Amino acid sequence: MKLTIQHQEYYSRGELILRSLFGAIYIAFPHLFLLIFVSIWGAILQFIAWWIVLFTGKYPQSFFEFQVGLLQWNLRLNARLMNLSDGYPAFGINASDEYTSLEVPYPENISRGLLLLRAFFGLIYVLIPHGFILYFRTLWGLILSFLAFWAVLFTGKYPESWHTFNVETLRWSTRVSLYMGFMDDQYPPFSGKE
Amino acid sequence: MTDTSEKYYPIEQVEDISMRDREDAMGAYLMMFAALAAGLPLPILNLIAAVIYYYVNKGKSRFVKFHALQSLYSQIPTTLMNAGLVFWTFRIIFNEGSFRSSDVFMEGFATVSELYWGYLWVVVAANLLYVIFSLVGATKARKGRFYYFLFFGKLAYHFAYRKEESSDAPVLNEPPK
Repeated sequence: MKLTIQHQEYYSRGELILRSLFGAIYIAFPHLFLLIFVSIWGAILQFIAWWIVLFTGKYPQSFFEFQVGLLQWNLRLNARLMNLSDGYPAFGINASDEYTSLEVPYPENISRGLLLLRAFFGLIYVLIPHGFILYFRTLWGLILSFLAFWAVLFTGKYPESWHTFNVETLRWSTRVSLYMGFMDDQYPPFSGKE
Repeated sequence: MTDTSEKYYPIEQVEDISMRDREDAMGAYLMMFAALAAGLPLPILNLIAAVIYYYVNKGKSRFVKFHALQSLYSQIPTTLMNAGLVFWTFRIIFNEGSFRSSDVFMEGFATVSELYWGYLWVVVAANLLYVIFSLVGATKARKGRFYYFLFFGKLAYHFAYRKEESSDAPVLNEPPK
């Protein structure tokens, strides 16, 4: 899995102010409204894919691409809402983006044993330990985002280490999503590094 | 006697159908579990999912379109029957009070008419048949095979494989009448 959000040399202060004041209306609302329906469809496909994987050991490729497209859409949106990227995020699961990218290799086979293990015990051995750390990491990320707002406002630059930290949080949580969504058999590392 | 090849596209053989198309065709039958995924006891949800799936996938290949259509058509009768059963059951519970008329739940059940029980068993049988046929259809689709349901198979084949009649007559612009 490869997730990147480009660290820009300069960030637009105008866009920063616009996003901060009206982002909920012109970015979050229209995207989230559509994402609700697309996510319901994604959940239905995932449920059906679970049975398909159980019986065939393979994740249907078009279902897989849909789920990756959905994750890419979420990434584009999060990058803007967290001020990690400028520009307006594109709508749709097939859209591309200038600043963000997410590549997930299609697995030829998915372990059925792991599939069952994740379904029955995923909460215990994946979601609780990762969720616990990610919760505090996200809190710290929010503080950094708040500080970065002022840094961008006065200097036009997003401190690179803060940017990296927030991107790593997103990468980490995406890995957990991929593992729990049985799109990857590799247990997610307790790190957001590439 | 009319030649079928003039009216219909030739059907693909197993070796011509990609694994991706087979998986997409299989997915169409599994839309019957959509309501389970959403956790809602609404029979109509399966039908909505099948309609969405058909429109999303119909352009991929005729093989996928055929299976998606067959799955969609075959869901209509069971969905209507299920909806009827849900409606009837809710009527009994909330309007007629059959289930409330007794302190013992099972005794309350006994007050439900024989017609209701008859309909219930017909619906259960129809759903079982539908699930069995759909699972067979899904398995065949993944193997790149065709499987024709009674009546719906022919209908789906007709709409997925018939050639559109192209009109060679020139279109004429006309003045207002």
